[in-house]
Amino acid sequence: MLRFALSRFASMIFVFISISILVFLIFFATPGVDPAARIAGRNADPATLAAVRHSFGLDRPLPVQYLIMMKKLFITQDLTSFVNRGQKVVPEILAATPVTISLVVGAAVLWVIFAILMGVTAAARRGRPIDPILMAVGLIMLSIPPYWLGEVTNLITQDRLHSTVFAWVPPLGYTPFSQNPTQWFLGLVLPWTVLAVGYIGLYGRVLRSSLVETYSQDFVRTAKAKGLSPRRIMLRHALRTSMITFVSLFGLDFAALLGGAALLIEVVFGLPGIGKLTYDSLENFDLPVILATVLYAAFFVVLLNAIVDLFYAVLDPRVRRV
Amino acid sequence: MRRVQAMAVLGTVAVAVAACSGSSGGSGSTSASPSASNGQLNAAHVGGTLHLVATAANGTLDPQVNYTLGWWQVYQAAYDGLVSFQKANGTAAFTIVPDLATSVPTPTDGGKTYTFTLRRGIKFSNGQPVTVNDVVASFQRLFKVSSPNASSWYNVLVGSDACLKTPATCTLAGGVVADPSTNTITFHLQHPQAEFLDQLAVPFGSILPASTPPKDQGDAPIPTTGAYMFSSYDPNKALVMVRNPYFKQWSAAAQPAGYPDEINYTFGLTPEAEVTAVENGQADWLFDAPPADRLGEIGSKYANQAHVNTLTAIYYLPMNVNIPPFNNEQARQAVNFALDRNAAVALYGGSNLASPSCQILPPGFPGHVDYCPYTKNPGTTWTAPDLAKAKQLVQQSGTAGQPVAVVSANDTVNKSIGEYVQSVLNSIGYKATLKPLSSNIQFTYIQNTKNKVQISLSQWYQDYPAASDFINVLYGCENFHPNSDASINISGYCNQSVQAQIEAALTQSVTDPTGANSAWAKIDQEITDQAASATLFNPKLIDFVSSRVGNYEFSKQFYMLIDQLWVK
Amino acid sequence: MGEVATLPPDGEQGGPVAADLVRGGAAGGGGAPPPPVPSPWRLAGHDLVRNKSAMASFAVLVLIVLACLAAPLYASHIAHTDPFTSNIEGTTVVNGQTVKLIQQSTQGLGLGSLPIGPTWDPGHYFLGADVQGRDVMARILYGGRNTIFIGLTSAVLICFFATIIGLVAGFFGGWIDYVISRVLDVLWAFPVYLFAISLSVVLLTSGFAIGPVHIGAGSLAVPILIITVIFIAYVARPVRGEVLTLREREFVQAGIGVGASDWRLIRRDILPNVLTTVIVFIPLMAAIAMLTESALSFLSIGVQPPNASWGTIINDGQSLLYSRPAVAIVPGVLIAVTALCLNLLGDGVRDALDPSARLRGGA
Repeated sequence: MLRFALSRFASMIFVFISISILVFLIFFATPGVDPAARIAGRNADPATLAAVRHSFGLDRPLPVQYLIMMKKLFITQDLTSFVNRGQKVVPEILAATPVTISLVVGAAVLWVIFAILMGVTAAARRGRPIDPILMAVGLIMLSIPPYWLGEVTNLITQDRLHSTVFAWVPPLGYTPFSQNPTQWFLGLVLPWTVLAVGYIGLYGRVLRSSLVETYSQDFVRTAKAKGLSPRRIMLRHALRTSMITFVSLFGLDFAALLGGAALLIEVVFGLPGIGKLTYDSLENFDLPVILATVLYAAFFVVLLNAIVDLFYAVLDPRVRRV
Repeated sequence: MRRVQAMAVLGTVAVAVAACSGSSGGSGSTSASPSASNGQLNAAHVGGTLHLVATAANGTLDPQVNYTLGWWQVYQAAYDGLVSFQKANGTAAFTIVPDLATSVPTPTDGGKTYTFTLRRGIKFSNGQPVTVNDVVASFQRLFKVSSPNASSWYNVLVGSDACLKTPATCTLAGGVVADPSTNTITFHLQHPQAEFLDQLAVPFGSILPASTPPKDQGDAPIPTTGAYMFSSYDPNKALVMVRNPYFKQWSAAAQPAGYPDEINYTFGLTPEAEVTAVENGQADWLFDAPPADRLGEIGSKYANQAHVNTLTAIYYLPMNVNIPPFNNEQARQAVNFALDRNAAVALYGGSNLASPSCQILPPGFPGHVDYCPYTKNPGTTWTAPDLAKAKQLVQQSGTAGQPVAVVSANDTVNKSIGEYVQSVLNSIGYKATLKPLSSNIQFTYIQNTKNKVQISLSQWYQDYPAASDFINVLYGCENFHPNSDASINISGYCNQSVQAQIEAALTQSVTDPTGANSAWAKIDQEITDQAASATLFNPKLIDFVSSRVGNYEFSKQFYMLIDQLWVK
Repeated sequence: MGEVATLPPDGEQGGPVAADLVRGGAAGGGGAPPPPVPSPWRLAGHDLVRNKSAMASFAVLVLIVLACLAAPLYASHIAHTDPFTSNIEGTTVVNGQTVKLIQQSTQGLGLGSLPIGPTWDPGHYFLGADVQGRDVMARILYGGRNTIFIGLTSAVLICFFATIIGLVAGFFGGWIDYVISRVLDVLWAFPVYLFAISLSVVLLTSGFAIGPVHIGAGSLAVPILIITVIFIAYVARPVRGEVLTLREREFVQAGIGVGASDWRLIRRDILPNVLTTVIVFIPLMAAIAMLTESALSFLSIGVQPPNASWGTIINDGQSLLYSRPAVAIVPGVLIAVTALCLNLLGDGVRDALDPSARLRGGA
């Protein structure tokens, strides 16, 4: 176990270094992103431009800038934004974290529950009409562009039906749980639903297919021969081994979401989470914030993939722990 | 006469505001009645919290660095210069009135010396009194923080050359001289500058405590002298302004007392969500342009909450006069003839939100005389495109078939106008492509000649109402810096004879503003004839306020007066 | 979990060949020689044709593809418009009256201008106009070509490479797995949006050349490449997970026991079972690819104006959401329908090739 943890920790360092170098290279390879002119203001003269560049350290060689930025981010933790001068990046990220976690965990609970329901029902009733119907519904859910769905949800709940059916919907934005739990919840119900919709379709589909596969296996036939009820077979035997693909995908998606992949949902619903931070930093070409958010996301990817790898052994004891 | 119209501000870079002509004369007329009804607040409406929304914050809160409309609008209520633009409705806002100074001085010594007497008894929001030392320190600080216009406006001060070379030790010796015994500050200019008072009246000229650190303060609020102070600023969440406890109104024209007790400016919603929030009364006003598909309902269902105002600004297409195909004058004129300015207006939101234009100076501007040579039916204003003439010109120019790339910003309105321009260029014989770049890159990208931009879509809003702010800035030779991200003369236009006329007009405007205006009008026509760019339209601004808001006033200089709104 | 160690049980062998043996064997018995058995591919074909939902999906897909291919015919002969030229001041005929394509609001302050909505008249802007005054229906047909091409190509490429990568990582384990998994981690944590924005600026401003091939902003290879690279990890990790379990299964252990080579094990025992998972992924990834194309085209990668794809039309429709929802809805529905058909067809193909389904007498 210790070996496992150490090796994964080493891999995290590797991933961090590669990703941060990639971010740096990509940023500086982009024409026109030099922040000096934008910060210096329009019609600044060459001397002013040079002064501003110097104050941001942009006139130093790239590797030096890279090392300084990484040091500021991890060691001294006083990395500041290019766009909002003086604003520290690390506290910004920490402030945004609870918002994203609230959004993503809630949505994950929703989509796991409904995807399992959908997949199990479709697999159990395979061949009957409910099967392709559920799959069709799932695919439609998967194909809806999330930004569009969010805007339409707002259109209906904040505008058209706001005074009647959806009067309970609070104004867009985030209320911390510690401040007002009810508002926190009410304000997240719709974002949870919109975020979960796409994933329910995908995961339901995937699970159904895995279940159908598993059903043709030996141990299921043995269980049937032993006289176990279909429900018991499904829930206690088939479901576990069918979850491999489900869990693999979940690890990837959950990691990406925690790292800010739900940025469009956060933007549409006015939730100041990591996704929104990422989105703003990309809009503004704010390198320090981009770097910080990307590394933050990478952390979750490595962490969750490690957890999923451990989990394979739980799901299917035949698998040696990798 | 100025028409009051509305326009959607896209708020990318600094927005400038029109002011009246002749402001440099220093007569400081205060004939227009100030907003706060003769200096007294209407007690019934005092109080409450005003809730403003914007999609994003506007960068640093430091008034000597920030160059955006968003914060200039907010600084009205917070900072003061020696003089300022009057806080009044409409064109009265162009008048320069004394603010921290007791009066607006007439320059002496051939226009090179201005002496201001500082008012006594004014305190910063941290309790410290405002002294002449603070004034000197503030102007030194302009150079220390590399203020955007330090080298173009304030380099007129004696001693500024040393400051530009080594900002850290800037003293402006001989340039800004304080005399504590008489409580005066004297400014010595290297040469007369017609717009000097305007340049003191904009937020760059705010007087800050001498103890303010000599670097960009970012999100750390600097103590204010005005009716409000900044209590907190988180660029991801909100900007909060509260009443300045040490404020006592000394001039209703310059810095009136405000109505709301608190101003809460929150960030993070999309423009669609902001419009809905204002409709629901959850917010009182949105900074961003309402999206196109909400304009209809705003204009009809919520018409009495919508205020539309003309702005002195242009949407235009600078054409690079130094590289093909637009180094050919006929090609440039062809583009001007081919553009259907009504189509561009429709993409912007319709004829009640923009008016077509062919020329540089906007209507109502000093020096503006209606002029449009690029219309089908001859006249002084544009009526219709002339495609046949455009195609003919393209053939004559020999540039037909050349590839042209149109560079626009990638937000909805700019991108759609860019797509339209691409279509027009294709129809007159070019092979046009569209390159929509992020708004944060596009503006600097199109300025840098390294990028060989042939034609781009850009906007220009004035800093203050002076024709030079359009003509000299956009077409003057010294504002063309090859290979630099800051070369605001985007066309790269530099015509010696026109330049000579520009300089003559600049000199003339110090002593004879009215005469200079006709000179500017002539220059406007000449540059328009040479088609260095193609102006599309003059945009207007919409202010959409919630139903509880009252006392809406619109200053032509700084737009809606936020602290004069009633929320009770 | 009880596992009965037996000789390769039915359905586990994978591949039509084994099924053939089993079938031939089962059908035997009795004294008479067994009747000639059609080839396994023929059998699969029969099963597929009998699968109603698969055939219906196939028909719908063919219909969509044909309609998109016929876009030029629609534009010139039915709709009589040029879907790539702006026509803001143009007019059309609705209910016998000539109306402007872009109409200025006349109510109240008269703010805003709106394109006409669906007229349901194929000759006159069937689904209405967009803000440039272009025929939405014609653009959707043209757009379908680009979107379907990008979606399908990406999906196939993703699944192809992900299968190989997942197989190798899962089967061989050890440091090979470790290195591959780390690379997949980096890929999945990759700052895609940053890369896309940066790449779009590079392509827009100069394009770049790889050897003799010049890649400009409008090249469809770019979004396909980006989508493929982003999502390989998404399919590879589940495949790897599957292989990890399959590797431990009794028939594989049996194979190892009799000294089968790695290649044979992969080819005959593991790959066929993994393929069933992968086939399910193809239409799912096609749907995801089509949606990602929409996001990328918003960043100016892929289809360039004035060309269209379902993604660019969805983007255009965002600004018309409150007033002309059809512009954003129709392409989205088409993406869903295409993905659904691919899905049902894929299921049909998989079932047809799966001998165990046949033995149990139904799909």
